[in-house]
Amino acid sequence: MQNTMAIVFVSILAIVSLSHLFTTIDVLQASLPHLFHNIFMFIDFILLAYFLWQGIAKKHSLVTMFAVIQMLLYTYVISLSPTLLSSDILVDKVSSIMYLVINIVGGVIIIYALEYIKSEEFSKFKKSGFIAMLFLFLSVMNFIVSTNNIEIFFMLFELTTLFSYLLIAYRSDELSNNNALKALWMNQIGGVAILLALVVSITKYDTLYFDILIKNIDSTYLLPIALLAIAGFVKGASIPFDKWLLGAMVAPTPVSAILHSATMVKIAPYLMLKLSPAIISSGFASITITLIGTFVFFAASMLALSKDYFKEILGLSTIALLGLMMALAAIGSEESITACLVLIVFHAISKALLFFQAGILEKVNHLKYVKEINGLVNHSPILVFFIIIGFASLTLPPFGAFIAKFMAIESIATEITRNPLYVLALIFIALGSVFLTLLYFKVVTKLFAKDVSSKEDNHTPLPKLYMIPSSILVSLLIIGILVSYDMKLLSSTEIIVPSLLIAIVPILFVSVLFKKAHRVKEYHCGEKDELELSMYYFAVSDGYKKIITAVAILLILILVVGAVL
Amino acid sequence: MIEIILIIFAPLIGGLIYGFERVVRARMQNRQGPPILQPFYDMYKLLGKQAFIVNPYHSILGIMHFVTLWVVVAFVILGENLLYVVFLHLLSSIFIVLTGFSVRSIYSHIGANRELLSIIAYEPILIMLAVGFFMLNGTFDIDAIRSSSSELASMFFLFLAFLLVIPVKLKKSPFDAAEAHQEIVGGVEVEFSGVFFEFLYMAKWLEYVFIYSLLMLFAGNSILLGAVLFVVVFLLVNLVDNSTARVKINHLIKIVLSIGLTLGMLNLIGLSYV
Repeated sequence: MQNTMAIVFVSILAIVSLSHLFTTIDVLQASLPHLFHNIFMFIDFILLAYFLWQGIAKKHSLVTMFAVIQMLLYTYVISLSPTLLSSDILVDKVSSIMYLVINIVGGVIIIYALEYIKSEEFSKFKKSGFIAMLFLFLSVMNFIVSTNNIEIFFMLFELTTLFSYLLIAYRSDELSNNNALKALWMNQIGGVAILLALVVSITKYDTLYFDILIKNIDSTYLLPIALLAIAGFVKGASIPFDKWLLGAMVAPTPVSAILHSATMVKIAPYLMLKLSPAIISSGFASITITLIGTFVFFAASMLALSKDYFKEILGLSTIALLGLMMALAAIGSEESITACLVLIVFHAISKALLFFQAGILEKVNHLKYVKEINGLVNHSPILVFFIIIGFASLTLPPFGAFIAKFMAIESIATEITRNPLYVLALIFIALGSVFLTLLYFKVVTKLFAKDVSSKEDNHTPLPKLYMIPSSILVSLLIIGILVSYDMKLLSSTEIIVPSLLIAIVPILFVSVLFKKAHRVKEYHCGEKDELELSMYYFAVSDGYKKIITAVAILLILILVVGAVL
Repeated sequence: MIEIILIIFAPLIGGLIYGFERVVRARMQNRQGPPILQPFYDMYKLLGKQAFIVNPYHSILGIMHFVTLWVVVAFVILGENLLYVVFLHLLSSIFIVLTGFSVRSIYSHIGANRELLSIIAYEPILIMLAVGFFMLNGTFDIDAIRSSSSELASMFFLFLAFLLVIPVKLKKSPFDAAEAHQEIVGGVEVEFSGVFFEFLYMAKWLEYVFIYSLLMLFAGNSILLGAVLFVVVFLLVNLVDNSTARVKINHLIKIVLSIGLTLGMLNLIGLSYV
């Protein structure tokens, strides 16, 4: 009963967000009555008080400190009253695309969560609470992409922090609690950055609205933009703020899926998109944020190569791709903005699909580490199919994420002619994308070793509520190919030919059995040992990790200092 | 029309280059060497052999590697987008890697591993190459690149970087770690036989056509320069192949990436000031 209701609700959300995309209104604006502002203010104080209480109760000095700082700053912000006013709600095309991601991908994740949470050992109340929290999370996300008021944006930002804190701590063991607190204080940095941005914006530009701030921005004084960008880096878990997202892996898998694809971390590229007109008004901010983003893309892909935990590999690749999205938004040309949106949408679908499989691996096959998944194709060919599609859709033509990467290189190539520093960004992207390909197929190859002698009947069946969401996402990927064909993002041969090539393979698998050929065993060259299929590791030494963090911090400092000077 | 004929005969052209190469290499070593048509004799012989397969995945992915590579070559000949060609070529490499891993033979696995690793070495350089052409012509269109004048002078550093890529792709010493017949009995090839090996063999020929047709882009619209480039680079690659020993796979990556990326970066920065 509960499940049916949730599924119906999810479908309604999906239909509404789809129909919204096709309505003709370009920009929808509205203001909220004064009462709401008072309620929001009240919520803010409660939230900050809750963080403070958690900091004191869990004896975590960083959480306490940031909560106090935020309270002081917030009180100060309220005491200032800016005069340049605009509408609180502003829904444009970017918001409607975000609605699609949030409600459709997020909705599919909730359907998946219904099955996943069944097998956890919690009280019925806590299980329902879990689903409810996911729904609330989606609603906060829907609101955050519709608001134009930075103060409301701050409240919603803090609410996402709260939900991530509660969801990461959901299993309430020691590890979960520690990682949740880590996520809390790191995200609080983002909150502080937004409040500082608000203070600067009000005192210098006399407004707390995104649109006025962006319009009136003085290209020599970008401090509020830089601060908001930092809030974006925090939410997007860019290096050096990457630790919290990796810690979030202890939470149940649907949480990771929803954090990584439909909610929260997507605030980062969204915020950059929103700020992008202001960012590109100063060439300095544009190049610095592009470099930060592409550097994160490169560094996170490299770090991921040394990981073995499946979810952690997915997590680092999310961080990498978010870096790329932010860089694309900061370049700000028409093409790069399209590329950014395409990447947001398809990354959400592919990552959700992959996290689903991670969850299924954990629940059905009881596997967590890549080193254990040798020859999975012998037991769960469907699972392997989903994983391969997921990884292929992030790297290979004709899938959406590939198109975005392709357009990214194209728009950077255009920028190089203007500023040679973009060569660095190009190198980061080229290396990062190769590393990601290597990473994904390193994992895939592990699944693949087909055992000739294995019987076909030891397949593990999957529950319906696992199969359906994964299949929906795969069909979304295929619809994505059709849409990109329709939008002419690539020429039609460039989309059709690889689609055919990829489609031929499964057809051949099914139809060709090589009747005439003799089946033989593999070449073993006299070795008697049972073959342990080898996977290579790339250890990234601590020295390099420190350098990466140092470079990332340095770049952010350059951004802040440069924004003031 | 000429394009269609070229595409259809692309594997044969590659086979001829390969046969010619065996003659040249033999002459460099003061040997007589096989006749120029030897690859086709080999092919004929392979077709007569009994086909053994290890599992259907393995054979199908091997065939797909060949088919995809043929499509890549067709895209180059038809003058499509260069950057796209580079990425489509990646798809064909992924097929061969999956092939290598779809059996349980350790040699096949090591070969596929090295294949995947050598992607790290050449892919960024190919991307930079495409960007270099983009900066000069304002487009990734191979047709446009071919119809403009030669870019060899302004892309000389990128040309040198590309020279490093050729032996990696064609499995020539010192960068033939992915195949390494003496150590890993041919890597991904090891489990192929009969007609299925034939596909892999022909894919190698296509690799020749692909890499030399990229080389021709440096010549622009000058056919003479193209011919000179081909002969010089062809002889150079074989000379190096004959006179060097194989390096380890990690050295391969370090050498190709460090030198290649530096050259490419210098070249692109230079171009941005033009």
